[in-house]
Amino acid sequence: MPYLGSEEVVKELRRALSNPNVQADRLRYKNYITKVIRYMTQGLDVSALFMDMVKASATVDIVQKKLVYLYMCTYASDKPDLALLAINTLRKDCADPNPMVRGLALRNMCNFRMPGMTEYIEQPIVAGLRDKASYVRRVAVLGCAKMHSLQPNTEIDGTIVNELYALLRDPDPVVVVNCLRALEEILKDEGGVVINKPIAHHLLNRMKDLDSWAQSEVLTFLLRYRPRSDDELFDILSLLDAFLLSSHAHVAVATLRLFLHLASAHPTVQADALLRTSAPLLATCGAASRELRFAGLCHVQQVMRSQPGLFGTHYKRFFCGYSEPSYIKFRKMEILVELVNDENVALVLEELRSYCTDVSPELAQAAIAAIGRIARTYSEKCLDILTGLLGLKQDHITSAVIQTFRDLVWFCPQSTAAVCQTVGACVDSPQDSEGKQALLWLLGEHGDQISSAPYVMEGYIDGLKTELSSAVKMELLTAAVKMFLCRPAETQDMLGRLLHYCIEEESDVCVRDRALLYYRLLQRGVEETRKVVTGPKSDPSMSVLTGRQEEPISEWDSTFNTLGPLAGCDLCPQTAATSAADQPSYDAEEEISLSLGPPLSHETFEKMWLDLETLHRQTLGFPRPRAAPDTLQAALQLVKIQTLAFTPGDTVPWKAYIYTRSTETLILAELLQGDQQAPGSDESLVVSVKQQPVNHMLLNLFFFFFALYDISLLTSTCMLQ
Amino acid sequence: MIHSLFLVNASGDIFLEKHWKSVVSRSVCDYFFEALERATEPENVPPVIPTPHHYLINVLRHRIYFVAVIQSEVPPLFVIEFLHRVVDTFQDYFGVCTEAAIKDNVVVVYELLEEMLDNGFPLATESNILKELIKPPTILRTVVNTITGSTNVGEQLPTGQLSVVPWRRTGVKYTNNEAYFDVIEEIDAIIDKSGSTITAEIQGVIDACVKLTGMPDLTLSFMNPRLLDDVSFHPCVRFKRWEAERILSFIPPDGNFRLLSYHVSSQNLVAIPVYVKHNISFREGSSQGRFELTLGPKQTMGKAVESVLVSSQLPRGVLNANLNPSQGTYTFDPVTKLLSWDVGKINPQKLPSLKGSMSLQAGASKPDENPTINIQFKIQQLAISGLKVNRLDMYGEKYKPFKGIKYMTKAGKFQVRT
Repeated sequence: MPYLGSEEVVKELRRALSNPNVQADRLRYKNYITKVIRYMTQGLDVSALFMDMVKASATVDIVQKKLVYLYMCTYASDKPDLALLAINTLRKDCADPNPMVRGLALRNMCNFRMPGMTEYIEQPIVAGLRDKASYVRRVAVLGCAKMHSLQPNTEIDGTIVNELYALLRDPDPVVVVNCLRALEEILKDEGGVVINKPIAHHLLNRMKDLDSWAQSEVLTFLLRYRPRSDDELFDILSLLDAFLLSSHAHVAVATLRLFLHLASAHPTVQADALLRTSAPLLATCGAASRELRFAGLCHVQQVMRSQPGLFGTHYKRFFCGYSEPSYIKFRKMEILVELVNDENVALVLEELRSYCTDVSPELAQAAIAAIGRIARTYSEKCLDILTGLLGLKQDHITSAVIQTFRDLVWFCPQSTAAVCQTVGACVDSPQDSEGKQALLWLLGEHGDQISSAPYVMEGYIDGLKTELSSAVKMELLTAAVKMFLCRPAETQDMLGRLLHYCIEEESDVCVRDRALLYYRLLQRGVEETRKVVTGPKSDPSMSVLTGRQEEPISEWDSTFNTLGPLAGCDLCPQTAATSAADQPSYDAEEEISLSLGPPLSHETFEKMWLDLETLHRQTLGFPRPRAAPDTLQAALQLVKIQTLAFTPGDTVPWKAYIYTRSTETLILAELLQGDQQAPGSDESLVVSVKQQPVNHMLLNLFFFFFALYDISLLTSTCMLQ
Repeated sequence: MIHSLFLVNASGDIFLEKHWKSVVSRSVCDYFFEALERATEPENVPPVIPTPHHYLINVLRHRIYFVAVIQSEVPPLFVIEFLHRVVDTFQDYFGVCTEAAIKDNVVVVYELLEEMLDNGFPLATESNILKELIKPPTILRTVVNTITGSTNVGEQLPTGQLSVVPWRRTGVKYTNNEAYFDVIEEIDAIIDKSGSTITAEIQGVIDACVKLTGMPDLTLSFMNPRLLDDVSFHPCVRFKRWEAERILSFIPPDGNFRLLSYHVSSQNLVAIPVYVKHNISFREGSSQGRFELTLGPKQTMGKAVESVLVSSQLPRGVLNANLNPSQGTYTFDPVTKLLSWDVGKINPQKLPSLKGSMSLQAGASKPDENPTINIQFKIQQLAISGLKVNRLDMYGEKYKPFKGIKYMTKAGKFQVRT
């Protein structure tokens, strides 16, 4: 962000900083340095002062040092050659008797983001790992991670990794957690830090010494550990029990997630954990900070997917306050809809009714939609409220009510008569296109029950020239045709006018095509048209009758306490990749499926095949399929397996190379028959599988596919088609 | 974890940025500004904003957005709570957390941020420890520093980091040994038209200021500990002892800290300390509306209700209000339509009232919603939940400390619908 006159400022500052009088007066000198920092933070480019600032770093004043370090860290990447000059001072400081200075120097040296730094910082970091002051060790441990990130493609230094693993036993709790954090970053490509039994138990025993942030992170790391026996599992759970009620919401929630994950085979334990955490969760929903409240609500929503009854008695906690931000109100309404039961329905509806007149139109519409959702179970009371709202004659309310009616009729056909009566009596019509579409749909679908329907529709057809939205026009066409089928006498004339206008004068291609379609359909005769337009449709009311299913906890526990639900979307692609890599292989059982993915080139396949170890070899027990190569390829693609190459015809030995993908893992396989060297291959196929990276669950899946779809069978079905 | 932090003021300018890993360009905040533009009110910006390569998590405090840039998956509550901790620390250091205060103390702010996070991971966040690493600026110290040329940074490593009790530093010495406890309760309630309670809950905290020499071990017992069923404690409290005997036993941190916080939410337990009689009506076709409001105390155990402030957002159609308060002063802002009435203390013998008329826009239809009334008040020497401390004992040290306990009830989000 260039400022006007920035050059002047820099020149002036340089003059001041190099003035010997200023340098002699510590206070004035520091004031100028502070000034430089202030300009820097405002986005002014003061990198030209680098030399003068490096000189200022040779001081005993810690604050001045901090300031200069801050400056150097910001501009080091722009001026690597000059930054090297500062390193000497920093290395000297790393041997200072004061541990604060040592830590500070080490931290800042690691923060220089320049390529050639590694050779200068490696030695001080290794020394720092063995420092007697825990403050320096903390900095040094994270320094290892920073050093690795400077040259991400180099080989991992085994000695440093071992040293970090050893430091997990450090007496200082922050050092322990920093070790985990550093190892996680360094070993990212290998799937992160490995949590084995001794480490897991060590961490569990240190839990109470850690601060809340560290607790939360350790709990996340522990998700990777899977206890060997039930006894061990319950030992772990009882150790963690107290943290379910932690005063820090993030610790309580992280503990709950670990509980749900560990006890996935013990539903009663899971239910118990959810019950115990409901109090802290509710407290978070009432926290003073609105952001915390929002996060709490999102978590409550997730828990309710499996345990809808858990918060039933607390429904009043989810009533909206007047001054709450809208994102909280939306969530609260969604929760209220789920919490409705016979006892509280009257109160909840009354509450929602009062939100319908909110100043914000979005909020009012959401409240109306919420009432509509409740109407699927308690239609009578809700219809009264919705009808009452029509009387307010507010545009946005009318439109939202009509849209709600449309959805209600679709989901809950028994309310049709009541809705039609209300719509028929409603005098003013919605003004926005969404509302118009909803009204037209209702008129078309249930025109036989709304006596005034043709007159209302005529109004729309007459106003067609001024209508801007093509979606409304399309809906109008469909509705008019439907109405013509049930009330031909009143509609014929206006349908004719409508079709004429849409075909002759309309400029929007979609509308014109739709009109032509209906026109030609009608030419085929009324009965033909009826068959097409009012044919049988799916019946969504079934799902309402059976009620909302309680989902198993495994449906959502993988996203519990993550950003996805709060952002209102699934993971963004980049984080999805990292989080998938974070996931340990054995718990990836939620959703593994094979996919084709982008094709592999022959060279890549060959290279990988030679590089990788054979993971598994199995005799399939059936001979190779006698089919043309094309058929075989098509058959395999049906089960999402790509073919790279196979030997033609009846050559012996017969070979085929195939591959497939699942999220992160690439599976390569070789099919072999009739090779003298491979035992058992004369009669049936032998499969050898290699994976990158290794994932045993997928291996099972892969074989499952082979067993299920015997290739010979598949090929025969393919040939039939 | 936390990659960068941007501080954005109410007018949408970034006035401070800090990067803990590589530098993230300011342009990432464009996604935040988009959301800010879409939001009708400043509070309505969603806390979590996804962007193609990052997540932006923001909290709004004191009209400043603290926007954290996150690159990989993290527990959201963790980041939100951490950001609040940052704000609390600023407030602790500078007294207020305004843009001006942050700009004035930009050096301390950077020092703090540097110590609180390293490589994006929380490092030192306990105010006790931070204050030893970086001394808070005070007017006196600024003067002293100017004369002696010394600095705000502790020369020695904080001993607290290495002591057995992580939240208390060793070697504390005071000439006056004192321990004060404030029981503060905030009552959140929604009262409907007819005066019955829709929701009511009490959020209570016990804040302590302990200045005791050495390593004192305190126990605190309550007259009626059963009230506290939903409590969270400072890590210093021995939880086992609480579960078994309902007694708080702890080695306190030095200085100010929050000992515990609790909720009382069962409705029959929550007493509502004030009542409102209201009559706000608009007649169809007339350009006048009536406004009558009377406040009175209720269930206050004889304690006075003080610093009462009534505010209400009147409907958009109201042009002006011509009211007559029996005590205090009122203001009406014709632009924002906000009516506020500073009542002061409620005298039970002569109840305060505000009566008069409102003039409406000519020809406008009758507003379809009556305004909601927000009330703020304070009651000294009363914990509305009925919580009472029984006794406070000290073990482990020889001297006799001075002990004090204060109660206070405040209105939180207390609103009356009309």
